[in-house]
Amino acid sequence: MHRLIGIAALAAIAAPGASTAARAATGKQELVDILKVVDERQRNSGDWRSVAYIEQKERDKVDVVYEALIFRRAQDQKFMMLFSKPKASQGQGYLRLDKNLWFYDPGVGKWERRTERERIGGTNSRRSDFDESRLAEEYDPEANGEEKLGAYTALAMTLKGKAGLDLAFPVIKLWVDKDTRNVLKRQEFALSGRLLRTAYYPKWKQQFSESKKADVWFPQEIRFFDEVEKANSTLILLKSVDFKPLEANLFTKAWLESKSR
Amino acid sequence: MSRLFMSLSIAFRSLLQHGRRTVFLGLAIAGVTALLTLLNGLSSGIKRTMVHTATTLSTGHLNVGGFFKVTGGQSAPVVTRYKEVLDVVKRAVPEMVFAVARGRGWAKVISDRGSMQAGLGGIDIKDEPAFKDVLQIVAGSIDDLAQPNTVLVFESQLKKLEVKVGDALTVSAQTTRGAANTIDLRVVAIARDVGLLSKWNVFVPSATLRALYQIRPDATGAIHIHLAEKDFDHIPTIAARLRTSLEQAGFRVMDPDAQAFWMKFQTVNREEWTGQKLDVTTWEDELSFMTWTLKLLDGLTALLMVILIAIVITGIMNTMWIAIRERTREIGTLRAIGMQRRGVLSMFMLESLLLGLGSTVSGAVAGALLAAALNAAQIAVPEAVQLFLMSDRLQLSIEGPSLLRSVALITAVAGLAALFPSLRAARLRPVVAMSHFG
Repeated sequence: MHRLIGIAALAAIAAPGASTAARAATGKQELVDILKVVDERQRNSGDWRSVAYIEQKERDKVDVVYEALIFRRAQDQKFMMLFSKPKASQGQGYLRLDKNLWFYDPGVGKWERRTERERIGGTNSRRSDFDESRLAEEYDPEANGEEKLGAYTALAMTLKGKAGLDLAFPVIKLWVDKDTRNVLKRQEFALSGRLLRTAYYPKWKQQFSESKKADVWFPQEIRFFDEVEKANSTLILLKSVDFKPLEANLFTKAWLESKSR
Repeated sequence: MSRLFMSLSIAFRSLLQHGRRTVFLGLAIAGVTALLTLLNGLSSGIKRTMVHTATTLSTGHLNVGGFFKVTGGQSAPVVTRYKEVLDVVKRAVPEMVFAVARGRGWAKVISDRGSMQAGLGGIDIKDEPAFKDVLQIVAGSIDDLAQPNTVLVFESQLKKLEVKVGDALTVSAQTTRGAANTIDLRVVAIARDVGLLSKWNVFVPSATLRALYQIRPDATGAIHIHLAEKDFDHIPTIAARLRTSLEQAGFRVMDPDAQAFWMKFQTVNREEWTGQKLDVTTWEDELSFMTWTLKLLDGLTALLMVILIAIVITGIMNTMWIAIRERTREIGTLRAIGMQRRGVLSMFMLESLLLGLGSTVSGAVAGALLAAALNAAQIAVPEAVQLFLMSDRLQLSIEGPSLLRSVALITAVAGLAALFPSLRAARLRPVVAMSHFG
């Protein structure tokens, strides 16, 4: 073992290229660790309930505001969203079961299987925007250095989707607050390399979670700007976040259906 | 024979003798026949236009489409290894005139001024000369669709997109594996609307569609199979045969479902299977959301036909009753000089049949001429009608067999309508008939 360490040290002194590679590898590992921190700070390790307000602005259309209840269970990655406003969407909802996303419309009384990357309620928000962060699991980071974002110093990085995973955005650029490790800005790119969406996270809040036995951080406000249809934007406000355990039978089609009866 | 000739001669002379009545009744029957001819022409014209336009733009007479599922809940309208599928098609469908491979997709099309959801048709324009014949290009050149990253849009889409030839459009969609992707396109042609299909369809080169959805070169959206008109009536039989052949060749084939492919996503996504399944559909399946208009029109035509035939029957029966009343003494005289009852019966029947035949032939000819005149006049139809007509002009199609059927039907009806009064005439006793004063 001592001999091996000795050979490695010698090789590092003798070969500057290998030394640079080692530094880059360390840099990458640091970035992975940063991503893990970003994910971990937002992880609840238990149940989640909150109210979300989603405002959608589109060119030549009347602004639409949705109000929805969000339910999550970290243990088996369950997710449910129940719309309460506007009246036309009341009772509609999404339910994630066994990696399948289902949509229910009480007007039709049928469940439809949707893709995980579905635009929620036709807005520019996705299911993943309301769910736990899994950046370290899904992406490999590359450093882009430090950048100033207003008063904040941000660590900029480019995240590339890991091979074998089906991700909505194959490339993401991320700006993480150097001091707090909160995400400040996020840009998502298409396979073609075109920028699709820019998200800003201006407000973060921490709240103690019994299940995690630690604070959980979550964005109170997210602003999405459509970079293809420039006039379109989406605002998400998360309120009344609660980490208390939810009913065992909550994440079922029957429960969601019962809310519109 | 001579007796028949004599009866015909009497019937003809009788019609001439009662010229005024013959003319009025003949005109009424001719009018009904002309109307029926026009109605049939309208129904056939719409069907012909719809089939011709739709089978060029969005479907073959028969299609082998299908779905590829990466996961249980995510399907794409893709046929992989389509050349192998085409080989099976060639063997199973000897009636095939030609086949084309078309890409299928659904995406958001975005311009600087607006956006819309649209169906994407991937086309190799060099392989599809008929496509150019169906579309009327109002700006640009359809041949430029051979260049990569180009797009053909329809006039009605300009209201939303506000683009002109040369402008750029961005198309945003998810690849078959669910990743977001975009492609920038240049508008090379703007086509005149062809009904409902042009409301939400744009056409791009096949290679461009493959690049957007990250589909391999050996995959396509569907194989459109085109048949000769003589085989149109056998399409369901050919489809069943093709389905069996594909299964025997080792392909998984979906159960028949008479719906357009885009209406099947929900059903397919609910099922748990993954990989490739083929779907054999007919043009009527792919246009099932539109063919109700044809059924409605056929229903209306049938209803009108019943009403018109009732009018013909009433008219002929009344006229025959009057004629028999007026000619009772003549019947008596004929019977007295040796004419049998059967002779009287056939005389009146022949009279009615002659009138019916002459009038229906005249009516059919008049209807056909009128239809030709309407076609020549290129009458524009309202936008709402264009949606289903798939044409901006009224087009009537007069078909020989249909024309002959109308003539035969109304002549037969005229003959049958005269049967009862003729029987009554034949039953008259000569003495009673000769002493009749009326």
